[in-house]
Amino acid sequence: MTNQQLYSLAEDWFKHQNWTPHSFQLKTWSAFLGGKHGLLNAPTGSGKTYALWFPIILNYIKNNPEYKTKHKKGLKAIWITPLRALSQEIRQSAERVIRDLDTQLTVGIRSGDTSAAERAKQKKSMPDLLITTPESLQLLLATKGYDAIFKNCYAIVVDEWHELLGTKRGVQTELGLSRLKGIAKELRIWGISATIGNLEQAREVLLGPGSPAHENSVLIRANLKKKVTVKSIIPKEMETFPWRGHLGLRLLDEVIPIINNSRTTLLFTNTRSQCEIWFQKILEKHPELAGEIAMHHGSINKETRQWVEQAIRNESLKAVVCTSSLDLGVDFAPVETVIQIGGPKGVARFMQRAGRSGHRPGEESVIYFLPTHAIELVEASALKQAAEKKAVEDRIPYLNSFDVLIQYLVTLAISDGFFPDQIYPEIKQTFCYQSITTDEWHWLLNFIVLGSQSLQSYDEYKKVEVDEHGKFKVTNRGVAMRHRFQIGTIVGDSNITVRYQKGGYIGTIEEHFISKLKRGDVFTFAGRNLEFIRIKEMQAQVRNSSKKSSKVPAWMGGRLTLSAQMSKLLREELYSAQLSDKEQSAEIRALKSIFTRQQSESIVPKPDEFLIETFQTSEGYHHIFYPFEGRFVHEAMGSLLSYRISLLAPITFSLAFNDYGFELLSDKEVDMQQVLDNDLFTTSYLLDDLQKSLNSTEMARRKFRDIAVISGMVFTGYPDKGIKMKHLQSNSQLLFDVFKDYEADNLLYQQAFRETFEHQLEEGRLRIALERIAGQKIVWRPCTAPTPFSFPLITDRLREKLSSEKLTDRIRRMTAILTKSK
Amino acid sequence: MTQTIQILGQNFILHPSGTLYWKEQATVLISDVHLGKISHFRKFGAAVPQKAIYKNFDLLDATIGFFNPKVVCFLGDLFHSSLNREWELFEKWIGNSDFKYILVRGNHDIISPQRYERIGIQVVSELTSERFLLTHHPEERKGYFNFSGHIHPAIKLRGKGKQSLRLPCFFKTQDQLILPAFGKFTGTHTMKKKETDEVFAIADNSILKI
Repeated sequence: MTNQQLYSLAEDWFKHQNWTPHSFQLKTWSAFLGGKHGLLNAPTGSGKTYALWFPIILNYIKNNPEYKTKHKKGLKAIWITPLRALSQEIRQSAERVIRDLDTQLTVGIRSGDTSAAERAKQKKSMPDLLITTPESLQLLLATKGYDAIFKNCYAIVVDEWHELLGTKRGVQTELGLSRLKGIAKELRIWGISATIGNLEQAREVLLGPGSPAHENSVLIRANLKKKVTVKSIIPKEMETFPWRGHLGLRLLDEVIPIINNSRTTLLFTNTRSQCEIWFQKILEKHPELAGEIAMHHGSINKETRQWVEQAIRNESLKAVVCTSSLDLGVDFAPVETVIQIGGPKGVARFMQRAGRSGHRPGEESVIYFLPTHAIELVEASALKQAAEKKAVEDRIPYLNSFDVLIQYLVTLAISDGFFPDQIYPEIKQTFCYQSITTDEWHWLLNFIVLGSQSLQSYDEYKKVEVDEHGKFKVTNRGVAMRHRFQIGTIVGDSNITVRYQKGGYIGTIEEHFISKLKRGDVFTFAGRNLEFIRIKEMQAQVRNSSKKSSKVPAWMGGRLTLSAQMSKLLREELYSAQLSDKEQSAEIRALKSIFTRQQSESIVPKPDEFLIETFQTSEGYHHIFYPFEGRFVHEAMGSLLSYRISLLAPITFSLAFNDYGFELLSDKEVDMQQVLDNDLFTTSYLLDDLQKSLNSTEMARRKFRDIAVISGMVFTGYPDKGIKMKHLQSNSQLLFDVFKDYEADNLLYQQAFRETFEHQLEEGRLRIALERIAGQKIVWRPCTAPTPFSFPLITDRLREKLSSEKLTDRIRRMTAILTKSK
Repeated sequence: MTQTIQILGQNFILHPSGTLYWKEQATVLISDVHLGKISHFRKFGAAVPQKAIYKNFDLLDATIGFFNPKVVCFLGDLFHSSLNREWELFEKWIGNSDFKYILVRGNHDIISPQRYERIGIQVVSELTSERFLLTHHPEERKGYFNFSGHIHPAIKLRGKGKQSLRLPCFFKTQDQLILPAFGKFTGTHTMKKKETDEVFAIADNSILKI
């Protein structure tokens, strides 16, 4: 069949549905059939799945003219999705095309939810089209004879690539692709991404910089013009609206009419606990909505989630309270309204959520923004600007993630084994490891074989072995088994399964939360009040309870930060407080009483001013700085400044950060005049000072936690399987200390510091921010009490520490307090 | 850097390494060394730095050298796991010294007592001497003051300005004293201090009474 005939097959199908293919779909079809790799930039719900399923199926038809009667078995295409919840949708759209075009292709799903029986069946005979996750793809590489499985695969699609880019799952995907490229000679690699700032780079990371695949690739933009309208829910009584908080329940009643006035509403919350609380409170205050609202987040069991997703499609629910678990995905066409509760901390994410509403082409997307505290209204106003200007942030890809590479090498070693000379050129072509040196490579090989850099006496380290042909292989079954379990934990915290005592799976909760519960404690989870009974075999047993509870499990959500562009918009919005009413947005106008209060106690900074506030409370001396540069820059600046101050005299700080500023809290007063006189905001010695401050804080230590798990040094047990390998559990903190004292040159230990630098502190942005501050007038206001601006900061309990005092001196003062309080 | 306390008329010296010296009996009490733990982890594919293994022996040498006792008494969990090659290092280490060694058996001590006895270590389930009871698990027995380990006690201190610190400690109640874990690469368990408890924290190579 000629390509033209193939296209008409597809176009006929579209005609049959009363659709017309978008030009981005046509472009993708022809690029794919022309043998190209590529990145498709298309939003959710635009028909992106058909842009790629079609050419994949058409390519099969092309090569198998008797496709209607004969079925050529074997894996042909892989579709990778970051969220397994999406696989059903993707499968349905594939099956529709397969059926309607009369092919005999089969579709299968392989993810953490796939049963062991189904997996075994797949192992015998792979489906033609496989939908899977990055982790499950790695697990396939851990299967004996995996090259035979992938040999004839001619397409791999990485869906929602923007979600993976800038994460270690993205690195895992890069590595998987590098191996598949080596096995499947006909492979075409395609990514699908929502709009992000660095799309070109996204393509480069996907395909490998300078690789033949990259050279022979295209970037196709859907360019679907869609109007996004942001409506803020402005509190009626601003005077009593809280200055701090993150739940937003105060405005719950404003949400009810919005829900009532639309067919379906999605309420996006930022954390799972917030999701639970909102769901609970809506039902408490509006019991009439029972049965009409539901909840959706990643810890709820699969059946419930799927039921909710189906119910959204059927329009049988009025509203769903959800988290980012519903961010991605195929078409939930009927969603009419979207409400964002609290700052989404990302323009791309916000726009994507907005895109959930008004799904028909040309239809306007409306998103309501519900502030959880007063200052967040400034953010709402800035988001409006960002939506208009399409100021979308970049996703920064990881470089030299040695932990992920170690995991990958062991994966290859447990299946068929590997020869370094074959794998090195493959990984060298990935974006992540493009600059790896041969020294580092040999270090890693030594690490997985010897567990150190030289053979030592009395050592029994056992992981990977080298056979007489130079092949790296795992022969120990225990090592292989533990490693397979570890592959899935790439982003995981230690999770515990929650079940009814009589059986019945409810979901998973972080062990951290469960460990604080005592028998009889009642907590809210999955919308139910549950009484904790006991932990048995890594499962929490519970029963239903009628008691009210205030305990809601908190999940550590990744803390996101504002992009440079968004921070700039935020500052501009804030500066507009000085303008006349007419020139202000509705949100800024609504904040008038707050600004007045701030102005009377301190100032509302103008564009040329940098505000520092100091005051004393029972907690100690608060020193607050407002660069308005986003959380990460503030973390860096806070660490830097506290480090420099601590050089002037011994002092101990507790540091808090948010998107507006940072606080240095101490039991001693800082002489601010001295800080200003000593020019502590200077960019000289920036790198050096930053590095030193990093050593005195906990940031790198926290990064090390993931690194230790991913590289297989900390074993998390098999919580889902009820196996607790207690004798092998240690905590990464302990390990971090041991490395600090005995092996500080270990590449994994150093990676923790490098990652903090590259992904947390953003030195480049810090420098620019400091240069901007150098041009500003510093306004230092000693205040008598906390100001409206300072409130969200001083009440933040997640804190960083830095000290230049002697431990014994600190203890003496602390001891004093302990005795006094008796 | 050490601190001396009196219990039932006897003198005990607390050492920042986590050991306790009983002056009248010339006995060093050491708890929860967890030898073999690092090797155990390495055997299972977790590359904990090997150098830390030797540190345990260096520290043992240092603290025993400091007191120069007659008796060295381990209050349990001397060896973390089943037999591995760290035992050979331990044998060598024992061979070099000529004190009397006693092991009060802990829950981790699963290696056969014969092996200990072969290298001159007496293994007991508990030990009494005058009105003192030495065990691995903390115990309350009428008429006795109990020395034990097992818990790996630590204390959390709070201060102004949202400061907090966690330090390993000797934890003393009316009739008990729980020793901190001696071993490197062992965790701690945070204790709550009651009015009547006495806590001796270890910080910066000194003992501080809290």
